Amino acid sequence: MQSALDPAGGDAQRIYWLTVIMTVGGILIFLLVTGLLLYAIFAAPERRAWLGDRRTIIVGGLAFPIVVLSMLLPYGLTVMRDTDVPTPGALPIEMVGEQYWWRVRYPADQERAEFSTANELVVPVGRPISVSVTSADVIHSFWIPNFGGKIDMIPGRINRLNFTAERPGIYRGVCAEFCGDQHARMAFDLIALEPAEFEAWRVDQAKPALEPDLPSLVRGRELFRMGGCGSCHVVRGTEADGQFGPDLTHVGSRRTIGAGQFPNNIGTLAGWIANVQHIKPGARMPSYGSLTGEDLRALAGYLESLK
Amino acid sequence: MGGRRTGQILLMLAGLIAWAVQFTAIYGVTSTLCGRGWADANLLGLEVVPMTILSATLVTLAATAVALIWSFRNYRLAKHQPVAAVDDFVSHAAVLINGLSIVVILWHGIPAFILPACA
Repeated sequence: MQSALDPAGGDAQRIYWLTVIMTVGGILIFLLVTGLLLYAIFAAPERRAWLGDRRTIIVGGLAFPIVVLSMLLPYGLTVMRDTDVPTPGALPIEMVGEQYWWRVRYPADQERAEFSTANELVVPVGRPISVSVTSADVIHSFWIPNFGGKIDMIPGRINRLNFTAERPGIYRGVCAEFCGDQHARMAFDLIALEPAEFEAWRVDQAKPALEPDLPSLVRGRELFRMGGCGSCHVVRGTEADGQFGPDLTHVGSRRTIGAGQFPNNIGTLAGWIANVQHIKPGARMPSYGSLTGEDLRALAGYLESLK
Repeated sequence: MGGRRTGQILLMLAGLIAWAVQFTAIYGVTSTLCGRGWADANLLGLEVVPMTILSATLVTLAATAVALIWSFRNYRLAKHQPVAAVDDFVSHAAVLINGLSIVVILWHGIPAFILPACA
């Protein structure tokens, strides 16, 4: 589960401490003021008289807030300055919010080819990341609470968010702007890997899909082709080149399906294909409930084999 | 009498007027230049956005300091001679308002020293 109270990057750490200081400070001041209020109501008049002194008013009503706010202002501005700072040499990643999933694109560089994936943002630990975000339909908002602030994904506009993952792990990202019926089911995983593991993952992801090596998987691929799945989904290395839905070239290697909704296995894949409109009403994919059990297993098996 | 009261009221509001001037200058120049993508605009080798904030802050700070000194002098005069209740109130208020205006003007100037021009 995501948590802004468990920071895993420098920006999140800064925002966390700002939150702690503001919350604790606010509570202490609230208790102090409430205590003084009760004292003013219930204490004997001669004992509470000092509350009305000019000195009390100047110290408590003027000097104290001025000193506190004068310390908080530069502190808050410093946090603002040091958060979400673009770094030269940062790894560029592009994310597009769509109802109700995330398209993730890793652009080509001198050594590596570009590729796309979905609902999974994989990053190397210790290297600054620059995520460019936009939307294909309505306004979404990109937020990984463990890594800091959120940023809106606006159609026709590219916003950027910079952060660095400081420890390996799997963190949950969410859409933080109501975007439609299934907004609450629009999540993704951020997977922070050691640099060598990340490079290996990147090399694997850029490869075309594996050829099926079992008759049932060959049957699954044939069903995928005949069912017209390729008009919406791309499976690199095959004739499926649709761009409407998520890239399925390595769908079997992902942790979850349905934008972070279910663990990825043959059972959930079959359930998703057969009844997506029951599981996630309003998703753009139709349910394929007319498939026989055998065909459904073959098709789901083929997708699961796309590691 | 009317002219003296107008002067008193103006002196009492001097800090707020200076603050409004600083606010308008800072936000007007910063939003116009940043909105048009002229964040790095230079004038005689000086960056326009931070220099505007700095000069607007210094000028309004100096004006408010003068108003504060003046209102403090009026306050001390009012303290040592019998005056109407309204004059007593205005002299108190003038010191407080001009003193607080100095703090607020400083707060508005601080970001120029910490944040980039168009943060």
